[in-house]
Amino acid sequence: MWIAIYYVFCYLVFGYTMLLMLSYLYLVFMSRQSQKHIDVNIPDDETIKYFLQGSPLTPAVSIIAPAFNEEVTILDNVNSLMQIDYPNFEIIIVNDASTDRTLELLINEYKLVEVPYDIAMKVQSKPIKRVLKSTDPKYSKLVVVDKEHGGKKADGSNAGINVCSNKYFVCTDVDCIIEPMALYRMMWLVVNSHRPMIGVGATMLMSNGCIVEDGRVVEAAVPNTLIPMFQQMEYLRSFLISKLGWSGINALPNISGGFGLFDTDVAVKSGGYDPTSMAEDVDMMLRMVTYMKNTGQDFRLAQVPQVCCWTEGPNTIKTLCRQRIRWARGLFEIISNHRKMFFNPHFGPIGAFVLPYIFIFEFIAPVLEMTGFLFMIWLIFTGGVNWDSAILLFGMIYIFSVFMAVFVIFCDYSTKAVNWKNTKISYLKLLLVTLLEPFIYHPLITYCSNLGYWQFISNQTSVWKPIQRRGVKKKKS
Amino acid sequence: MNTVSILKYYFNLIAAYVTYYFKYGISLFSDYPAEIKVAVSASAFSVLLIIIMIVTLFYLSYQKKRRIKLNRRIEKRFGKGIDFMLSEGSRKRMSRYEIADVFEIDRENVGKELLKNNREKEAFVDYFYQLFITVRSDLANRDNITTFLFLFGIPEFLEKEVSLRSMKRKVRYMSMIRTFKLPVSPWVINKLLSSKYLRVQRMAMYSNIMLSSDSDLDYFETDFFDKHCCIKDEIELAYSLQRRRKAGRKLPNLARWANLQKNERSQCMFVRLMRRFNQLQYCDQLTELYKTQPRKKKLIEEISRTWGYLNYSDGEDLLVDALLIQPDDTKVAIMHALTRFATGKSLGALLEGYYNTTNPHVRFEAIRCIYNYGEEGRAKFYELKQNALETDLKLFDFFDNPITLEKIRLDKEQAYHPSVETVYNS
Repeated sequence: MWIAIYYVFCYLVFGYTMLLMLSYLYLVFMSRQSQKHIDVNIPDDETIKYFLQGSPLTPAVSIIAPAFNEEVTILDNVNSLMQIDYPNFEIIIVNDASTDRTLELLINEYKLVEVPYDIAMKVQSKPIKRVLKSTDPKYSKLVVVDKEHGGKKADGSNAGINVCSNKYFVCTDVDCIIEPMALYRMMWLVVNSHRPMIGVGATMLMSNGCIVEDGRVVEAAVPNTLIPMFQQMEYLRSFLISKLGWSGINALPNISGGFGLFDTDVAVKSGGYDPTSMAEDVDMMLRMVTYMKNTGQDFRLAQVPQVCCWTEGPNTIKTLCRQRIRWARGLFEIISNHRKMFFNPHFGPIGAFVLPYIFIFEFIAPVLEMTGFLFMIWLIFTGGVNWDSAILLFGMIYIFSVFMAVFVIFCDYSTKAVNWKNTKISYLKLLLVTLLEPFIYHPLITYCSNLGYWQFISNQTSVWKPIQRRGVKKKKS
Repeated sequence: MNTVSILKYYFNLIAAYVTYYFKYGISLFSDYPAEIKVAVSASAFSVLLIIIMIVTLFYLSYQKKRRIKLNRRIEKRFGKGIDFMLSEGSRKRMSRYEIADVFEIDRENVGKELLKNNREKEAFVDYFYQLFITVRSDLANRDNITTFLFLFGIPEFLEKEVSLRSMKRKVRYMSMIRTFKLPVSPWVINKLLSSKYLRVQRMAMYSNIMLSSDSDLDYFETDFFDKHCCIKDEIELAYSLQRRRKAGRKLPNLARWANLQKNERSQCMFVRLMRRFNQLQYCDQLTELYKTQPRKKKLIEEISRTWGYLNYSDGEDLLVDALLIQPDDTKVAIMHALTRFATGKSLGALLEGYYNTTNPHVRFEAIRCIYNYGEEGRAKFYELKQNALETDLKLFDFFDNPITLEKIRLDKEQAYHPSVETVYNS
């Protein structure tokens, strides 16, 4: 009996691993196809700028950035947002009833005054107390919304959507560093799409280790500490393989909450962000897809391979674990809330392929890995390990992970995703972390995911704590 | 032995080696279980892919270095001259000999090939294009730039390239021709019009609109834009039509083109372009579209805007009739159009629009329209304000604030895009 279970489990894991590798190969292939398409259809930044800058037809964009108790960095951050290069945009800073001097600093710096404003509560958010605009024409792009405390980023974002007056909006975090050309790169996909574009995602990397000058990343580098270094590789893999690959078949399952562009009208009609959700970005994206499919409208979702936004990621194991536990709970929540979409061809490739993929290879994987790990320990103690086969199988997975890392580097180089300060050293560092990843980072993430699932099942309440920022390196002027 | 047979010999030799070692590899694992075979094959495949990617990376890196080197050489040789051509210094019309002097080229060599080969020409034109679009110089004399490009044989090079190269290059060089405003031979455009790539066809069409006579625009008398239509098409079309108008050529009847399309998106595009190019004389041709396709709400919205902007007051009755039955977004567009007419006949309709809605946005827009509806409307606005509910009062207050009034002005400009002269790179 036990022997039968042993064999079934072993072959199940082997089959699962092979399927996972095949799905990665498919994503690699799709990602390469997307890159080729991008290579033909997307010109360089200067050409895009030249084309869009002079045209009144260039769609306007609202940038929504909720802020809560950000007095230390708020002015730097707003100044950084002001430097975005785009002919037609507004910045909406949503003050979520900060208890520090965030709002006061904004009022004094930008000479803000309260203005009557056209606010229709199109999506659910805590009441807006007032809207402020600058009396200085220099800051005419800035709108500050002061609202009652909602406690979640989603609530602030919804308030921003209620105030936003443009066809498209970008949702970001106030402490993100946005590349000056980011909006041009995203809008190029919008103006070139023959189908209504409802969302555009952009590559987002960690700013840890980069050098920032006047709110811009002037020297992009891979972080020097191990935990952020692992995450940098993970982000690159996620954006340049998974998201780019899925976007090739119009099945992008998620546009990052840190930086993503959406069609305002569709977002509003889908109900905006859900403040009670742990993964509000995926949740809204899936509701938008549901809305479009249910109303029989055609749509397009796309991904920009170039890095458009930099954010500071967790520096310590503790903060990383906290973040990953939250993500795992969010994934569980998405699986249970949107279960009707899974394996459902009515929702197009997202329902038929991507969500099943997420369920089988992202949701189940940590559980299976944890079980496999415990099983392996049991086998070691009982002497049941065939070491030759074990080493061979481990070698296969290890070589495959190196292949994925080399592909990421290849993508990065060919799409010019990141303008690294020192390309060779950056790539070497990325390769190095890949060699260490299976031994250090991957087990940690597996453990956190399982803990997150357990917390969700056992209905434990989670308190959202912001990541402690160390700040990025600034260049002396 | 000729070269072909030598190559054949080596190819067979390599194939034999590969087959031998492949079979040897298989024989090594013949007694092993299937999972081991699969694992070894997967590992070998991964290693092979890693090697291929690393080799490609080195090759790409080598190519990049070579390109940078060539660009530096071009910059060193011609950088100063190009800077001058794009600066205020070249404002005065210059002859080809004067331009040759700027580049320190012997006058005897004018008319000869100044760039050695296609690779140099490619690097030269890329370098100039990058500078041209980055500097966006309005100071430089356009004729001088054309002469300078002819001096280096660039127009011939571009024409040759667009008719030979890959789609990416075709599109790139075609857009260069358009950006530099170079005259193109009609045969090039005609050849590209029948290209198998939609993007190339479109590019050729835009150029044709810019350059051709009226009779050559016949191929537009189809539903060509129904296949694909995006905002970029509209930007390109607007640019081409603007250039056509500047050159003194007659603009085509865009209402007719709108009528020929079946796709709502492309119909909307042509209606918007009518607004841009003030085609009031063809507005009556939209009436049929307005009456027969009431379900296309975006189209109705665009037609209302166009009639409003062009002051086509003959359509006022149709708009008034449609006001209460159309969805909210269209209703707003109709109200704005009625406000533009401000004939006095439709104030009642605006008031109905204000009272018969629960949507706060439509209510707000109705107030805005009443406020902007001349003196009569302004008086009605204050009358409504006096009797307004407390919840509506903040909507009325909005219009008494100087900052928001400025916003209203800007919104209005944005909604109607009144200035065609600012269209794309003017």
